[in-house]
Amino acid sequence: MSESTEALLRVEGLSTRFFTEQGQVNAVSDLDLRIDRGDVYGIVGESGSGKSVTARSIMDLIESPGEITSGEIWYRNGELAAAVEDDHGHAVDGSFVDLLEIPERVRRSLRGTSFSMIFQDPESSFNPSLTVGEQLAEAVEVQRRASANPRSTRARTRSEEYSLGSFVLSTMLPSKRYVSEESRERAISLLELVGIPDPVERADEYPHEYSGGMLQRAMIAQALAGEPDLLIADEPTTALDVTIQAQILDLLDELKRETGMTILLITHNLGVIARMCDRVGVMYAGEIVERGTLADVFDDHVHPYTHGLLGSIPDVERAGGRLEPIPGNVPSLLDREMGDRCRFADRCPKAMEDCLSHPPEVDAEGSDHHAVRCVLAERSYDESRALPDDYFGEPDRPAEAVDEPQSDDEPLPAERTQPTLEDAGGDGS
Amino acid sequence: MSTDERLVRVDGLRKYFWENDSILDRLFGEEPVAVRAVDGVSFDVYEGETLGLVGESGCGKSTTGETLLALQEPTEGRVEFDGDDVYALGRDGLTAFRRDAQVVFQDPFSSLDPRMTIGEIVCQPLDVHDVATGTERTERVRTLLERVGLSADHLDRYPHEFSGGQRQRIGIARALALEPEFLVLDEPTSALDVSVQAQVLNLLEDLQSEFDLTYLLISHDLSVIRHSCDRVAVMYLGEIVEIGPVRDIFESPKHPYTRALLESVPRATTAERERDRETLSGDVPSPRDPPSGCRFRTRCPAVIPPDDLDLEQAQYRAIMDLRERIERRDVSLESVGGDRIAFDDGGVPERDVPAFVDALADRLLERELPPTHRDIVEEALAALAGVDWDEAAEVLRQRYESVCERRNPDLGEERHPVACHLYGLAADGSENGDR
Ligand code: SF4
Ligand code: SF4
Repeated sequence: MSESTEALLRVEGLSTRFFTEQGQVNAVSDLDLRIDRGDVYGIVGESGSGKSVTARSIMDLIESPGEITSGEIWYRNGELAAAVEDDHGHAVDGSFVDLLEIPERVRRSLRGTSFSMIFQDPESSFNPSLTVGEQLAEAVEVQRRASANPRSTRARTRSEEYSLGSFVLSTMLPSKRYVSEESRERAISLLELVGIPDPVERADEYPHEYSGGMLQRAMIAQALAGEPDLLIADEPTTALDVTIQAQILDLLDELKRETGMTILLITHNLGVIARMCDRVGVMYAGEIVERGTLADVFDDHVHPYTHGLLGSIPDVERAGGRLEPIPGNVPSLLDREMGDRCRFADRCPKAMEDCLSHPPEVDAEGSDHHAVRCVLAERSYDESRALPDDYFGEPDRPAEAVDEPQSDDEPLPAERTQPTLEDAGGDGS
Repeated sequence: MSTDERLVRVDGLRKYFWENDSILDRLFGEEPVAVRAVDGVSFDVYEGETLGLVGESGCGKSTTGETLLALQEPTEGRVEFDGDDVYALGRDGLTAFRRDAQVVFQDPFSSLDPRMTIGEIVCQPLDVHDVATGTERTERVRTLLERVGLSADHLDRYPHEFSGGQRQRIGIARALALEPEFLVLDEPTSALDVSVQAQVLNLLEDLQSEFDLTYLLISHDLSVIRHSCDRVAVMYLGEIVEIGPVRDIFESPKHPYTRALLESVPRATTAERERDRETLSGDVPSPRDPPSGCRFRTRCPAVIPPDDLDLEQAQYRAIMDLRERIERRDVSLESVGGDRIAFDDGGVPERDVPAFVDALADRLLERELPPTHRDIVEEALAALAGVDWDEAAEVLRQRYESVCERRNPDLGEERHPVACHLYGLAADGSENGDR
């Protein structure tokens, strides 16, 4: 547990939408989140839940046709607050800055130094034709330049020329060696920090000479080059074998302890959450439906989806009886098909009349952090108010309508443009 | 429920893939390289049971499944199905085998032809094997689809209209079309979300008891294996290292690899934070050039030291890691001293040798060693200062060679056999049964 409970990041009412040909997709809706300094915050959810879109929204990586349509992302950084106060007073609240209210280029300058991100697939973060050491050294240089310039809007103009110059240089000399001996040494010590044996030698190797686990470590090293306040890890171990996953989780744990770094961990794996996180948010259909401490969510959960998710996992320590899958459809995230009810109501074994209006997030029993978006937090299940089984249609085909559309990623608009049968099933198309 | 009737017998199965084996390669004198995907596995599958094949990527579990179904040609070994030698079957025999033994793959999308309707897909095996006709056939397809939880009304739809879980159900319906006895399930739920995975696992369970099916379940997911299997075989680098009843494997695992594998799985409970576990270091070696002796020895935390070696296990492990690097010549000597030490083809000038040895030890040795052992290591590293790899390797081998690298432990025959010298050495410590 961390000693300080100082918020590093407060997300309030975040909504991210994709404007596709098929219509508006509500990938993330009205999401609240508070990440304390030094904590590991986990977001868990299945495909299409909006967990990756949330991470990308914080990282400022949402691209057209996606857009953050509302919300505030308050980031605590006194220095930054002082730098932007003059020109953007409305974006500053004490030492917090609302990232959605500052100019794009200031926000971009925070990448690497304030926030950095690691992904499932490390290959995408490396250029195959440069050695790992060179690329780390480059990351070190970029961060050094960025932090050499105060983050005021005026100072940026000068640095832009510089980075343009170095950009031209790097395109002209694609095989350029280390920028300086100093950055090379820093690259080596980064590799050492992430537990790569014999970093001196490994620094001179190319990405393809690394195993999957080592490249994952190297990507973490790259993300740490700018000593970020917040590391966002999006399914960092999903592509790895379980023994390598254990190594990477240990590494993240160690780095957190040694550097005091804060981590936002996105995963579909509840075991990984349990291993790593101080707090956790469970996402379903673009919303955090339950959040709190690990104990709140694993032991004292209120939301039937959380319950269903935990009941679906086979237990590695016990010979289990029958699994309890979650019945029903993954809901459409198309705005026009969403309605105003609880988004889980069509799959929820405890759905009542009360659930037909969208439940707000309310506090639940347990720790101060426990909050849930479900009427059961405030009233117990009342069978006399239960919705009839066939309320949402298709009662005669229970098993058929049971699945999620398959996509490794989040609700990519392109995926959503091909409604799966169950998306269309309700209206008998 | 499983019976004592053996349905499948796999004996000494090997499957090698060859690299550098084209005419051009031979023209240029490249030696073909064997990738030993499956390297001598033996096991039985009993009627009505689910045997799990578990291991990490590249361990050969999927190749084992494909080879035993004769979807791949074996390099060596024998597979019997219902008493018949599968690789010696004639045309008719093979047709019958293909009907009785089916497979369900991981990725339901790529294994279903996107241009065929799901009715056609499920019907295809009936066409190929000329089973049933006309309305009987259609009826059968409808029944199958409904049995796996899909609506028969969707017969005319195409795979892309279905979700991943539904497509997996289609794959299962197709596999069941010919009323097989035996299904190889190759990572059947790995591409699915957990809530959908749970549905598919339940479905497979129901189908098994309804149709008296025998399963070989191939998976990297230990929770799935634990949940679904009666017996489990654990694979590492092309070999089975341990096999036994699911309960024995999960509750009293013997092989150091099995133990590490089980410990690595993060549990979805609040107690997970405090659970002690030892993580394995290193990566799986290449199946092109697997380690001699026990294949797990390059990572094994319990690798057996020679007698009377006064070292902690972790120190011994560190020396073994160093040996591995030297034997593979996987150290760039040029960069050792940075600019301080001149290095040319002949090595390091005499006066710089001590500095070179220090720098190298610093880089390569993960643990402090007692002086006597430090001396031996330094002797080896000094040989490297003269670029004498063989000498360096030999100095270390002399003192530190493990039984684990000399001999590949056999998998025994009992109820819960394990391939590891910790269990295989005779009580008096003598070695027997060389390979
Ligand atoms: S609000 Fe109602 S339908 Fe939604 S999860 Fe809670 S009980 Fe179920
Ligand atoms: S034989 Fe030796 S190296 Fe192999 S698993 Fe047993 S103790 Fe470890």
